[in-house]
Amino acid sequence: MPPELLRVLEEAKARWTGKVRPSLNGGDAAACHLECETSELPAICNWLFAERECSFGGLIVEQGTPWQLRYVFYGQDSGWTHVVTYLHAGEERVPSVSRLIYAADWHEREAEDLFGLEFEGHPRLGDFVLHNDVWQEGVAPMRKGFDGSRPVTNREPDLNWKPRRIVEEAGAFGMPVGPVHSAAIAPVYFQLETVGEDVIRAQPRLFYAYRGLEKIAEGRQADDALLIAERISGTSAFAHSLGLCQGVEGLCQVEVPERASWLRVFLAEFERLRHHVAAIAGICESTGLAVSAAQAAILEEELLRISGSLTGHRYLFGMNVFGGLATDLDDAVCRRAAVQIAQVSDKLAVLQGMLSTSSSFLDRLEDVGKVSVSNARDFGLVGPIARASGLSRDLRKVAPYCGYDRVEFEVPQESEGDGYARLRLFFREAEQSARIISEIVQRIPAGRFRTPETALRPGAALGWVEAPGGAALHWIRLGEGGVVERYRIVTPSFANWHGFRLAAENFAFQDFPIILASFALSVHENDR
Amino acid sequence: MSQWVIKGLRTGIKSTRYPRTIETAPGMSPGLPVATRMSPDMAQMMVTRCPTSALEPAQAGVDVNLRRCIHCFRCARGTDSPMEWERERDFECAGVTPNSNDHDRRFGPAFSRSIHILVVDAGDCGACLNEVKQLNNPYYNMHRLGFFLTPTPRHADLLLVVGALTEHMRLPLRKAYDAMPTPKRVVAVGACALSGGIFGRSFMCAGGVGDFLPVDVEVPGNPPPPLAILHGLLVAAGRKPPALLYRRAEDSTEAPG
Amino acid sequence: MTNMDLLLVVILGLCGAGIVLPLAVEERRIPMALGSLGVLASIALLCLSGVSLFGDVSFHASLWTIPSLATLTLSLDRLSALFLFVAGLVLLPGSIFASGNLSAYLGKYSLRTFCVAYFALFATLVLIPLSADALSFLMLWELMSILIYLLVNFEHELPEHTRAGYLMLAIGEAGTILIALAFIILARGGSLEFASMKAIGNAFGEQARWAVFLLAFFGFGVKAGLIPVNFWLPQAYTSAPRPFVPVLAGATLNLGLYGIVRVNGDLLPVATVGPGLVALIIGSVTALLGILYATTQSDLKTLLAHSSIENAGIITAAFGAGFIFVASNHPAIAAIAFAAAFYHMANHSIYKTLLFCATGTVDSSVGTRSIDRLGGLIKTMPLTAGFFLVGALSIAALPPFNGFVSEWLTLQAMLQSAELASTGVKIVFAICGAILALTAGLAVTCFVKAFAMAFLGMSRSESAAQAPRARVSAAVPMAFLAVLCFLLGVAPTYVIPVLDGAIAPIAHQALAADALVPPFFSRNIHHGELPAGFVADFHKLGAQIGQSVMPGRGLVVLHRGTAANPVVFAMSTSYMAVVLLLMLLGAYVVFRLIVARDRSVERRTVWDGGIRRLLPEMTYTGTGFSNPVRVIFEAVFRPTTVEDTRETVGKHFRAAIRRTRGENHVLDRLVLDPISDAALWVANGFARMHHGFLNAYVFYGLGALLAALLVARLA
Ligand code: SF4
Repeated sequence: MPPELLRVLEEAKARWTGKVRPSLNGGDAAACHLECETSELPAICNWLFAERECSFGGLIVEQGTPWQLRYVFYGQDSGWTHVVTYLHAGEERVPSVSRLIYAADWHEREAEDLFGLEFEGHPRLGDFVLHNDVWQEGVAPMRKGFDGSRPVTNREPDLNWKPRRIVEEAGAFGMPVGPVHSAAIAPVYFQLETVGEDVIRAQPRLFYAYRGLEKIAEGRQADDALLIAERISGTSAFAHSLGLCQGVEGLCQVEVPERASWLRVFLAEFERLRHHVAAIAGICESTGLAVSAAQAAILEEELLRISGSLTGHRYLFGMNVFGGLATDLDDAVCRRAAVQIAQVSDKLAVLQGMLSTSSSFLDRLEDVGKVSVSNARDFGLVGPIARASGLSRDLRKVAPYCGYDRVEFEVPQESEGDGYARLRLFFREAEQSARIISEIVQRIPAGRFRTPETALRPGAALGWVEAPGGAALHWIRLGEGGVVERYRIVTPSFANWHGFRLAAENFAFQDFPIILASFALSVHENDR
Repeated sequence: MSQWVIKGLRTGIKSTRYPRTIETAPGMSPGLPVATRMSPDMAQMMVTRCPTSALEPAQAGVDVNLRRCIHCFRCARGTDSPMEWERERDFECAGVTPNSNDHDRRFGPAFSRSIHILVVDAGDCGACLNEVKQLNNPYYNMHRLGFFLTPTPRHADLLLVVGALTEHMRLPLRKAYDAMPTPKRVVAVGACALSGGIFGRSFMCAGGVGDFLPVDVEVPGNPPPPLAILHGLLVAAGRKPPALLYRRAEDSTEAPG
Repeated sequence: MTNMDLLLVVILGLCGAGIVLPLAVEERRIPMALGSLGVLASIALLCLSGVSLFGDVSFHASLWTIPSLATLTLSLDRLSALFLFVAGLVLLPGSIFASGNLSAYLGKYSLRTFCVAYFALFATLVLIPLSADALSFLMLWELMSILIYLLVNFEHELPEHTRAGYLMLAIGEAGTILIALAFIILARGGSLEFASMKAIGNAFGEQARWAVFLLAFFGFGVKAGLIPVNFWLPQAYTSAPRPFVPVLAGATLNLGLYGIVRVNGDLLPVATVGPGLVALIIGSVTALLGILYATTQSDLKTLLAHSSIENAGIITAAFGAGFIFVASNHPAIAAIAFAAAFYHMANHSIYKTLLFCATGTVDSSVGTRSIDRLGGLIKTMPLTAGFFLVGALSIAALPPFNGFVSEWLTLQAMLQSAELASTGVKIVFAICGAILALTAGLAVTCFVKAFAMAFLGMSRSESAAQAPRARVSAAVPMAFLAVLCFLLGVAPTYVIPVLDGAIAPIAHQALAADALVPPFFSRNIHHGELPAGFVADFHKLGAQIGQSVMPGRGLVVLHRGTAANPVVFAMSTSYMAVVLLLMLLGAYVVFRLIVARDRSVERRTVWDGGIRRLLPEMTYTGTGFSNPVRVIFEAVFRPTTVEDTRETVGKHFRAAIRRTRGENHVLDRLVLDPISDAALWVANGFARMHHGFLNAYVFYGLGALLAALLVARLA
């Protein structure tokens, strides 16, 4: 139990005497729970965010009697704090905290769109997850009564819908880009507001790939939810399945064997490495430096093949199960893989060296898409994007899981917050991941790779993981018989897409692909 | 800049020789479940294990509907897993639908070495899309076979769709298909595009694009490895024979496990 | 009375009728009267100038001698005839267009005033090139300024029109003063008649020549639209009413050029390279600034106004080149430069009138001239779109239209600077040539933008989507001008010899026609100037191909007549047009017969990336299209953008980003502002003196007296 957590508890008790009901739960998932009235909510959240300098993790809404709204915060030294408030049926409104914590903006918009909750004081609601040109207002698919298994037939969409524009300048126009793109790019629509040459503002419209994962998970067996978790984002499949596993394992107090934990770290870092190599390849390609893009793509394919021969699947699907891994990995095979990974890492270092001396390449990245540290904090950016702006929060350090506290590694950080800083950060993190792999592969203990039987029991728990893109939260509530009652997924891309517009402001049109690539965002992870 | 030229030359040729010779590099494909002869009890057990009903009980054992398999490996792992997995040439698995026999959907000789592809992601998890992207990497380099990605449907001969088709992507996909000149073919890539995969049919997902667009070629897999997609493209171009997507245990030569 | 006298009397009589008649007829009949009288007078003008231009007839008449001051004289030589002919080509369609557009003002403004002023101006426009003495010239010049002011300020209820009119009048007056000073110097011999001024030309020293040149150049430069005295022009053109702009742009700008040529080419020909360089540099810079500002405009009328400045610059640059070649004893090359200048002047008048007519038609149909609110007009106004396209292609100097010929000639003439001895001059030529080439490139951008944004794509406003077609009174003049654009473009070999007569007196050699249009198409060449081998070579190359089909000469060739390097350049827009036509025809036939056989055509909507619907507000605006130019030439434009972001709540929820762009014209910045600042500073200084003490005033007085004595003593 971090001592800071107690201090949070004491201070909350002192400040809001009688208005909050604080409680603590210990163990691995040490967290401070502050239950409060809705009227106190903004003040308490603001206290955590502004004064205690906690990061806003996410908003978890659960329908029930009463409704439960859980605002999750985490601090550098204080671990998890959950601010919980209850709404009674019929009064489904709550004061918005976005005015104070801008990072909560999209969380509130999503909850409004999908649950039909009202966030008082939020200036912009509606037309978010559910597009208004496809759905009418008033459809709330996440509500319990809504049958998510069949198509909605009665539709009265607003066919006159048009993208919102805020730039007012003579001759300004909104250039549409997408959702079908000129390359193999995930579906997202960008509204570039420009007067030609320079783009004043670029706003993404997401959720074209919204598959309603949180809804379709409900009512399924927990291990089927695991298959869904893997398919939130295929390129971060292992991280998300790990997040869910840890949630369920925490809930059911499953002891994960030592060997499984180490292998999980091995595979998670392996996935991070591959994700970052793909990001580097994307950046190289966006600058038009073809040879470097090809070199990075070769490395990505090599890593995909290593995971293919190591685990049978190129994207590590089907590896995580509750209580460990689905299959054991042979130690010799692991070591061979680690050697290959080290070779890839060496090649990556060579590539980095060459890129850092290619001035035409650097010219296109430096000072492009800048995000300041204060903005990064206000927008709640996470992962490499936040760390490239100097905001260093890594769940592997903040709230270690899987035995990460026994692994020695460094969380790289840059301060410029531009495209080049992000590129350097991807390189440095990739190097760290390769280091972790080569270090722990020697230390993987013998033993079981999973606990034989996992008895699922009802209840709810938070699983978290530092996915390749940043902090990811998985809130899982199981009912009787291991049936999923609520599965809330907060993904790093959701946080970082929210902040994408910070980087995409007042830039030259030809820099747009570079800014986009340097964020390495996943549309699928955001849309779910 | 010369360092890049040298680096490029040093790297040498990485491209696979497929389809001239078969590719056997390890880890390039996850393999496929094989329809296996087995006892009815066993078969029933396998069928219940499969989360997407890709396995169907049959007289002789277990039939496999590759359109549905999401590569969860549940039938392959564990202590009692009699399902065989195909690991050689398994990526040559793209099948055709009856649509593809229509006369006006066939590509003439002009298309034998030049097919332009528009990729539309209709709502997948990103893995299929990533594998499609790999087709451009030096290992697979689909340009050498005359396949090119094109930025606009106006120049596209072939529509490559990945993803389970979300409500929000219906209009864009329809528009893209309509904007393509004839003759045009549709290749659906991945279990989600074929059957909905794990997402199935829901308020958001259509359970595949087959009901929405006339699909010609189906590439199974979750995600299908790049070579399987390449095989699908070759099938669409008429340069490779199609494979069967529904495999019957009774056709299986394997002895019961 | 000769024919010419008669014609002149007829013209003036018709103008007189135009002035008197409106007072007699009903207001709503005035447009008709204006149209018919205007057409008749223009035809008479064309006859008068045509007889002189084509028939080489000159005319001279002394009207009235004012004792001890001057004799008012009229005279028509081929230089005046050329300007008059071009004016006739503009006034003929211009009058029809004016009559068609005038009725829109019925009831709002007095049509009588318009008609009276129009015909008074008509007469002045005719008489200015005819007047052959300084006194009548200046009187007419002054009259013209006032009449133009009246017409520009026709819609006088709009304050910006009045302001534009005043500015124009003020600058115009300043110009007139400069011109008057030039004439005073020229009249040193005691006579105000041009003929006698010309006779004493040799008596002037270097300084006097410079003075005359600068005074006349900048004095007339005001009307011609040269920097730094052209800042009135865009505003005045924009303010001028629809029926008048075509004439304003097509006919009055030329008079400024006429003045420059008349004084500096004819009355007191420049004898040194210096003045030519001034004209060349000023012309080139004018052209570049003109096109830069034209490209970034979003009001079609203002865009065309700035483009007039550009064209005036090109013409002046060609004149400058001509002056330099004359002064450095290369009369043949000078003749080519002058030919280019005159050709371009005629072309500019024609296509600019056409473009202003088309713009006026768009304005009256849609109700706006802002490119950002037009779009898609080719569907609703196909004829106007076609004519605008012809005008745009011409002004962008694309073959087979007229702009190409004259700009090409201009640039080729500049390339001949290689013949000059002085390296410094060569460098100036190289730089100015580069500037003009850049100008030509930007002109393409500018008019691609103007045409594409106004006529292609999606309609950006309701009224653009439902614009009514052009009326006959607009279509006929536009058709006439478009045909002229084409003819002048494909038949330069017929035009150049006509220009030659006007060039001869100023280039001191009538060589342009011979140098440019050798008679390759006659079977028996008796042309002593051409070396036989050169002619034979050209025949081998096929210069005689089609001689039985073509009615005459088709090739423009610049040659130096030396055996070693006979041909400098050659081109034939006539051939080009024929080939272009055949190619189009061939492509059509191939497509119809071979490609399109057994194939069906499918029509699909524009690919929009799959969004719900593509809206006009998602397509490029004119501002957006030209913004790269604005960004590249930021040093010239120095735009100031004020950004103001409004938040609804909190720090990051934005309701609007409002940006206002301000631009201070480079001339205002570099010329006008410093002058007004200096004036204010001086005024402030005086103001400070006013508040001094009595002693100080006494001291000032004493000081002034001492200074005066000192100066007198030293002198
Ligand atoms: S691997 Fe495929 S066939 Fe086997 S259980 Fe999973 S989905 Fe079914």
